[in-house]
Amino acid sequence: MKTLQRTRPAAAVLRHMLLAVGALVMLTPFVYMVSTSFKSQAYVLTIPPQFVPNPATLNNYIQVLTTQDFAAYFMNSVAVATTSTVISVLISSMTAYAFARFRFAGRELLFRLVLVGLMVPAMMLIIPQFIIAKQLGLIDSLPGLVVFYVAGSISLNTFLLLGFFQTIEGELFEAMQVDGANAWTRYWRLVMPLSTPALATTTIFTFLATWDEFAWALTIINDPAKRTLPLAIELFQGQNATQWGLVFAASVIAVLPVIVVFLIFQKYFVQGLSSGAVKG
Amino acid sequence: MKRSLPVLMVTSIVTVTALALAGCSGSPSNGAASGSATEPVTLTMWGTYGNGGNTAQTDVLNKTLIPSFEASHPGITVKYVDIPYDSLKQKLTTGAAGGELPDLVRSDIGWVAQFASLGVLAPLDQKMSDFTTLSGAVYPGSLATNAWNGHYYGLPLDTNTRVLITSQAALTAAGMTKPPATFDDLKAMATALKGKKIAVFADSGLQGWNILPWIWSGGGEITDPKLTKSTGYLDGPQSVAAVQMLVDLYKQGAIPNLLTGNAGATSTSDGLPKGQYATILDGPWMHDIWKGQYPDFTPIYAPVPAGPGGSISVVGGEDIVIPATTTHMDAAAQFVRYTQSDEFQLAMAKVGQMPVVQAAGTKAAAADPASAPFATQLATARPRLAIPQSSQVDTILSTELTPAFTGTTTVQAALTSAAKQIDALLASK
Amino acid sequence: MTVRAAAEAPAAARTARRRRLAGRATPYLFLAPGLVLFGGLILYPMARAFQMSFYDWKVLAGATSTFIGLDNYARAAGDPVFWRGLANSGVYMALSVPPQIALGLLIAMLLKAKSPSQPVYRVLFYLPVITSWVVASLLFKYLFADKGLINWALGDVLHLGDGSTSWLSSRWTALVAICALGVWKGIGWSMMIFLAALQGVPQSLEEAATMDGANRWQRFRVVTVPAIRPTLGFVVVMLVIGGFNVFTSVLLMTAGGPGGQTEVLLTYMYRQAFSNLNFGYGSAIAVLLTVIVFVLTLIQMRLFNTSEKDER
Repeated sequence: MKTLQRTRPAAAVLRHMLLAVGALVMLTPFVYMVSTSFKSQAYVLTIPPQFVPNPATLNNYIQVLTTQDFAAYFMNSVAVATTSTVISVLISSMTAYAFARFRFAGRELLFRLVLVGLMVPAMMLIIPQFIIAKQLGLIDSLPGLVVFYVAGSISLNTFLLLGFFQTIEGELFEAMQVDGANAWTRYWRLVMPLSTPALATTTIFTFLATWDEFAWALTIINDPAKRTLPLAIELFQGQNATQWGLVFAASVIAVLPVIVVFLIFQKYFVQGLSSGAVKG
Repeated sequence: MKRSLPVLMVTSIVTVTALALAGCSGSPSNGAASGSATEPVTLTMWGTYGNGGNTAQTDVLNKTLIPSFEASHPGITVKYVDIPYDSLKQKLTTGAAGGELPDLVRSDIGWVAQFASLGVLAPLDQKMSDFTTLSGAVYPGSLATNAWNGHYYGLPLDTNTRVLITSQAALTAAGMTKPPATFDDLKAMATALKGKKIAVFADSGLQGWNILPWIWSGGGEITDPKLTKSTGYLDGPQSVAAVQMLVDLYKQGAIPNLLTGNAGATSTSDGLPKGQYATILDGPWMHDIWKGQYPDFTPIYAPVPAGPGGSISVVGGEDIVIPATTTHMDAAAQFVRYTQSDEFQLAMAKVGQMPVVQAAGTKAAAADPASAPFATQLATARPRLAIPQSSQVDTILSTELTPAFTGTTTVQAALTSAAKQIDALLASK
Repeated sequence: MTVRAAAEAPAAARTARRRRLAGRATPYLFLAPGLVLFGGLILYPMARAFQMSFYDWKVLAGATSTFIGLDNYARAAGDPVFWRGLANSGVYMALSVPPQIALGLLIAMLLKAKSPSQPVYRVLFYLPVITSWVVASLLFKYLFADKGLINWALGDVLHLGDGSTSWLSSRWTALVAICALGVWKGIGWSMMIFLAALQGVPQSLEEAATMDGANRWQRFRVVTVPAIRPTLGFVVVMLVIGGFNVFTSVLLMTAGGPGGQTEVLLTYMYRQAFSNLNFGYGSAIAVLLTVIVFVLTLIQMRLFNTSEKDER
């Protein structure tokens, strides 16, 4: 800890300058999206870009919230994304644990199959998946979204968590095994608490991915009452002209929960530091 | 104080599952209702009337037209589902693969032949006894988009076309009193605008929608009337001459590289009101867009400049079709019939969808002078190829013609090559 | 004594065998929920897509499709647009992956230390990731427009050239713009993963290295990189896969234009499948893409794994 506090002031200044410049570059387009959401159509996407909306208007937000049943779509998205994320992170962490800590017949083959799942363009699977969903009676239902979102995220999450699980010291497992802890206890009491930063990362990624998913939701959802936010936002893009202010206002509303999830879960990064592998 | 992440996860899964289940239990799915006439029928219709958050069209449909139809057809309920425009085709495709299609679809005119050839659509000329009466009343160019292999698989629902749009500023700069009416006028305008940093004409691509008005007006053709051959038509002297005129203007710098696909160039809808472009070809929707974006701009509408073939534009719009899988054919046909009525056509005309029925078109043009130039142009406008591979024709045209404009090949060579590829498509249909 | 021991022996053996069996079943029990879902909803559809690639596939439910063997693959081999798409996807991957890794790791290193500003920066750098692809693509299209900010900055501010480049009008300049978007949107993602991995680097090691007089760069190379190697491998593999799967940004910024010059594999596949309804050919392109990426991934994993084992 002492080494950290001993950082020289010049280095600290340089560090902050680098970060500030980088953050500014990163931030600009986001600011532009927010600013556009407060513009009327006549001032949208002008060249050069106008960052401070003048005149500013709230009409886009009012229209977004009143023309469609946006509150219901918001709740649908919350339910689908949260359920999918929690189930996916639990299941994927179990899968990753098995790959990371056990040797068993077919391990290599199964792992490669999981890897292939990362590489296949999702668009190509949509028609076979739709036929399966129909057979399972999952068409036009929110559970139909959840089940496929979880299945679709297993590859990435397993692969991601595996990388972290492999870095946990082997002696910790041996010590627990000597104490008589079974595999489930080792997974739940040792791997999961030690991996909070990784689990938090996985949670953020999965939530964002399911929150933004469009193609599958478009395919299976027919009933307007079951729409999720990406579908609702897409409806603001017209055939001959798009009212960008509306699209961006809807996007700003949609992005807020992701920021909230991010803020909640990023504190587990710090927790991971204090209760992490170092302590053991 | 230290709640662990796993505990948090378990807590939230319980809460959210409960939430999700509570949310789902509300609406039962609309199961297949019986098709018998006595029992009430619910028709589902997919379309893209939502038009980007502009609710005028969906409002007319949901609040006026559908209730009126339901009142005059007791026992039939129509449920309209708005689909994002860019995604309707994908949804139709997956729906066809899974056997999950609605009873009615408002389809882009370019897709009817494609889906008909797959067997997705019901042949309306066989299913509706009064089809000839209905089809005789609509613009022939619009009707033709429903034809495939000797049958009609839909009826036109709404239509549009492109006309020449210019501005007073551009005419003044070129020293002209009226919009260019012929190819020669356009060339003269280009000469007059030389050095004034105003492009004489701009368009955003080289697909059929863009290039066919010039080829047709120039007296050229893309295929023979029976859609069997492109060689000898698309690469004929008149087609070549029409495209050559555009290439010459392009090479003089009188047409910007927006035409050859520079996505970073100023778009036509901005370039015309800002005075960068003197003329463009565009549709009736631009009127409302400019009213919102450029309130001070007054567009001037005129027919597509005439060449040796006259002034011929291209037909756009939507058709109404019935998927073959529907279990409510009679009720769906009733609704199709209703869409051809004056009530439906004129109500939609008020919110920007041009009528397809000629009589209604005349009435709408009288009521709204701004739509008159489009109605006039529509009388002679022609559809793009009504073949299943129409999207491939667009790709071929644009891929082959781009090098002719950028100077790496000749117009004749480009069109000969395009014609050969289109021949192959026509042979495989 | 001996009698009792003899009587106990079979029971003990049974217990041991049962425990061994249970032990052998354990990994499969952990795998079961994930693999059932994955197998049924991803692998099986994948197999169907693979099957489609050998057919002139008809989309309609119940329609009969014709088996055409390898025709779709032969068609790809002779299709210049396919090859151009492959090349463009490869160029995108090669130009956009290294900056994402280098910059993501750099920012993660800068943000590793606890400080009050750290969470704020973390959010700021992650904003592009949560901005939708549609919004970001449109924005970059406007930044790189003929009269956009980039040309204005190059011409009027930095005086590099005349600032009249039509970025999106030719193949290579358009790819540069698309790559710029990819890097901008991807840095936050790799930063997040590296940050999580850096939390697991034992501080005792860092401190020991500092005591030994190692400078920043040496500590990074000797302590940090080996400790996060599996994660680094993961990020490289994922970004390469993601690079080959570039889609939305191309579709929205150039739509593959002009004249198909900026078409990438996935935009071409999408056009073939959902616009031309050539699902057989589209599937064949998807299969080829998957095979290429899979081989690349195995090579990368071998690289990362062998060096990892060497150190153990």
